[in-house]
Amino acid sequence: MFGQIRMVITLIMIMGIAGAGMYVFKLRADNAILKTNQIKLEQSVESQTKLLKQQKKDFDAILESNKKLNELIQTFKKDLDDLDKRFTKKNRDVGKLAIDRTKAVERIINKGAENAQRCIELASGAEHTEKELTATKKSEINPECPSLANPSYVPYQ
Amino acid sequence: MYHINKIFAVALIVFLTGCSIGGEKKIKIFQVEEPRKQLDYPMPTALQLEEVKWIIITSENAQEVFAKLEAAGIDPVLFGLTDKDFQILAKNFAQIRQKLQETNNLLEEYKKYYETDENSN
Repeated sequence: MFGQIRMVITLIMIMGIAGAGMYVFKLRADNAILKTNQIKLEQSVESQTKLLKQQKKDFDAILESNKKLNELIQTFKKDLDDLDKRFTKKNRDVGKLAIDRTKAVERIINKGAENAQRCIELASGAEHTEKELTATKKSEINPECPSLANPSYVPYQ
Repeated sequence: MYHINKIFAVALIVFLTGCSIGGEKKIKIFQVEEPRKQLDYPMPTALQLEEVKWIIITSENAQEVFAKLEAAGIDPVLFGLTDKDFQILAKNFAQIRQKLQETNNLLEEYKKYYETDENSN
C-alpha cells in the first residue's frame, strides 16, 4: 500500500518536473518567436519609413522637374512672341525695308540666321562658349534665344 | 531469447523512425535583388550646322546680284521666298529649335530621375 502511494507521488513529481521543464521550453520558444517578431516589426517600420522618405523625395523631384519644364515652355512662348514682334513691331514691313535698304537688311538677316543656327546647335546639346555664358548686356546676347544661349542675361524690364 | 526479441523490437522501431528523426531538410528559398541594368546611352552629339548665306534680291538689284554670282563662279540661280514666307520659315525654325530643346530637356530630366543612385529602383 505504502509502496503504491510512493510510486504515485514519484510519478506525480516526475510529471510535474517534466511539465515544468516543458513549460520553460515553451516559454523560451515563445520568447524567441516574440524576439523575431519584434525584430521583423522594427525592420518593417524602418523600411516603411525609408519608403515614405523616398516617396517624398521622388515627389519633390517630380514637382521640381515639372516646374522647370513649365518655365521652359513659358520661355519658348516669350521667345516666339519676341521673334514675331521683331517682324511686325510698329507696323514694320520687312519686304518694304528690304527694298529700301537691301544691303542693311541682308546683313541683319544673315546675322539673325547665324544666331538662329547657333540656337539650334545649343538646343541639340552643344557646349556654351565663355562669351555666351558671361554675356549680360543686350548688345552681347544672342537675341534669337537669349534664355538658351545666355543664362547670365537678365532682360531689362 | 526474450532479451533478443526486445533488442530486435527496439532496433526495429529506431530503424523505422530513423528517417524521421532529423526530418526532411527544408528547401531554403532566398531572393537576391539584382538591379536592372541601366540603358546608359550617351547623350546625342550636338549638331554642327553649316552656314547659309541669305541674298536679298529685289527688282532693282536683280541684275547686279546675278552678275556677282556669275563672277564668283556660282550658278546664277536663286531659290526664293517672299518676305512673308521668310517670316514663316524663321518662326518654323524657332519652333523646331524649341522642340529640340524641350526633347533634350525631357531626356535629361528622365535620366536624372531614373539613373541617379537615390532614385534607381
